[in-house]
Amino acid sequence: MNEPDSRKEASQGTSDESSNAIDESSKTRSYRREGFEPEELKNPLPLWYTIFCVALITWGVSYFFMQGTVPADAGDLRTALPLPGSLPVDGAAVYNANCVACHQSSGAGLAGAFPPLDGSEWVLTDARIPAQILLHGVQGEMVVMGNTYNGVMPVQSHLSDQELAAVLNYIRNSWSNVADEIDADWFAAEREAFADREGPFNGGAELISVLGEPDV
Amino acid sequence: MTPAIAFLLAMTFLISIGGIFLMVWGLANDQWGDGEEAAKVIFAEGELGREEDPALTGVRRKGIQKEHEEGDLNIDEEELAERRVFDRSGRTPVLWWLSSSIVWLLLGSLFGVVASIKLHVPDWLIQDAVLTFGRVRPAHLNVVAYGWASMAGVGVGIWLVPRLFKTPLLGGQYATLGAMLWNIGMFSGTVAVLGGMSEGLEWLEFPWFVDIFLVLGGALAAVPLLMTILRRRVHHLYVSAWYLIAALVWFPMLLITAKLPLFTGVEQAIMNWWFAHNVLGLWMSPLGLAAAYYFIPKITGTPIYSYSLSLIGFWALALFYSQVGVHHLIGGPVPTWLTTLSIVTSVMMVIPVLAVAINHHMTIYSRWRMVLSSPTLRFVVAGAMMYTFASVQGSIEALRSVNVITHFTHYTVAHAHMGVYGFFSFILFGSIYFILPRLVAWEWPHIWAIELHFWLVFLGFGIYFWPLSIGGWLQGTAMLDATRPFMDSVLLTMPYLKARSVGGSLMTLGHVVFAAHFILVMRRMGPASDAPPKLMQGFGKRKNVEVANGAKS
Repeated sequence: MNEPDSRKEASQGTSDESSNAIDESSKTRSYRREGFEPEELKNPLPLWYTIFCVALITWGVSYFFMQGTVPADAGDLRTALPLPGSLPVDGAAVYNANCVACHQSSGAGLAGAFPPLDGSEWVLTDARIPAQILLHGVQGEMVVMGNTYNGVMPVQSHLSDQELAAVLNYIRNSWSNVADEIDADWFAAEREAFADREGPFNGGAELISVLGEPDV
Repeated sequence: MTPAIAFLLAMTFLISIGGIFLMVWGLANDQWGDGEEAAKVIFAEGELGREEDPALTGVRRKGIQKEHEEGDLNIDEEELAERRVFDRSGRTPVLWWLSSSIVWLLLGSLFGVVASIKLHVPDWLIQDAVLTFGRVRPAHLNVVAYGWASMAGVGVGIWLVPRLFKTPLLGGQYATLGAMLWNIGMFSGTVAVLGGMSEGLEWLEFPWFVDIFLVLGGALAAVPLLMTILRRRVHHLYVSAWYLIAALVWFPMLLITAKLPLFTGVEQAIMNWWFAHNVLGLWMSPLGLAAAYYFIPKITGTPIYSYSLSLIGFWALALFYSQVGVHHLIGGPVPTWLTTLSIVTSVMMVIPVLAVAINHHMTIYSRWRMVLSSPTLRFVVAGAMMYTFASVQGSIEALRSVNVITHFTHYTVAHAHMGVYGFFSFILFGSIYFILPRLVAWEWPHIWAIELHFWLVFLGFGIYFWPLSIGGWLQGTAMLDATRPFMDSVLLTMPYLKARSVGGSLMTLGHVVFAAHFILVMRRMGPASDAPPKLMQGFGKRKNVEVANGAKS
């Protein structure tokens, strides 16, 4: 075990009483100065203390009744938080979580692989076009700012209308981009308008045929 | 919660309180033919008003006695010899429990400081899984709670048994065996927690097969208590005895219940906090109060102020405490009525706490100066005052309006230390200063070491407690502010966490001083002294010191 002290002491136990090193007076010294074994007087409770106790108990009983109207099935006073929709959504946070890996934090994309968002005609045009790209994705050839890309823009429809509106506003108003803002209700309508569509747009060509030429 | 549940709860509450107070009134007013006269049994003729100050030898004491206008010393040689027999009967088990506790105190303090530093230097000591925060922190909690506090508490308790029952300790060897088993449990449990074999419930991290040793060790420690009670030579049980018996009955019940494999989900959370809070309230508090109720009148030479207050303090604790733990789950998926009951009983704890505080205050009132000179009294009174503070703070913290801020913050951590350290550990320190010289017939050799120990742990704890409480409160308000990012609430605590590490290190340093001094006494080393340590000798007693010096030469 790990208690050298106690082991030592246990072995010392028997030697204590017979040891010559410790004389009788040093053994009794601490006892001679010791007081009586404690006992109790019979003083009554202080009046203020009694009144205080009664007040406290009264509070306790009334507290039970004050809590009597709390619904029993909700756990302890849990209040439902307002739904995320009514809280402001940070577009930058959504961008950093979902877009930044390809389009980069500068919005410049990666030459030859991922198209830029900064200054892109597809971003700054009528908001309906980037909104549909977010909702359905694009697969195939697409010309952005004079360069041709052939990749996959994954669908982002799992994000809520609030989040999509926030990230689109962020993209359209970051870096050198300036465009008018849209809101979640607008996005909900946009989602509803193409609810029947399945699969991504087939490159820039289909986007143009369905939604028209990007026009900055 | 429906009005029906509220009505039933309120009525149960009122009837229980009514019953308890009726019983207390009956006991206090001798309705069962067993009050005042029985209470006098312990009191030996001619002893009232004599004070024990471990600092004083005959001449010096006479000086002080005169100062207090007390009568002549009146030592009953027979009683004196009897006390020596009592102390000797419990010597081996008491020393086993106490010296083991000192080892765990040092180890636990070290874990605590490491865990504290990790909160503001997160990359320190992360090379090995053993030293990561998630293992060091529970190791700290378990080692100080079950190694230091519980073992020292049992040691002091066993020492009190023969004195309280005026009967030599019977079956002391069972308690010695209990200490060995408890140490095995502590050692294996600490290794298990550090090795990653934690049960994952706070205060219950030790695996169940390790806890068997703690339950057996604790049960064996209770054997001499029961054997001695059955042969006791006093009829009336002094208030310390009530607390002692209750603690040793309650703790095994708590631990066994908590370890039963019956609880899952929300029930498990309820059981967890029922247990964790009761370790403080139904195990450490009664042990600490047993010691305080013994040493305060013993050293000041004043009887306890009021038997009625003692009764209320004890029985109200027994009635209210076991329900308070659920206030840790305020706002959680726990039935409202259960949390409400726990909030009300938490606030009701003010009743027994005030009773104890008034009782101690009125007892020490006329002798407050002795707090300056007597090491035992200084530690015990500081501890008793922090008991009142911690308890009232806890009652306020249980209110929903306060809890919503303090929950999940460092404020709770500071509060827990006020209870286990400020209250219980201080009382244990004081008790050991009284007990040890009697068991080994050797005075504490260095007064400065006691002073140093006291100020290191007292100031260190102040530096620990206040910044951490303030930081925790600010953390709580920051977390509630929806406009601030969560990281704000973390970063703003940094200066307070650093202060906590400084305070914790000072406390640890104090423990090292205390442990070294403890070893000196155990080995009868250091300058031999025929007088016990008296702190602050020059303070207001210059005349007496001169008299004493003259007498010595």
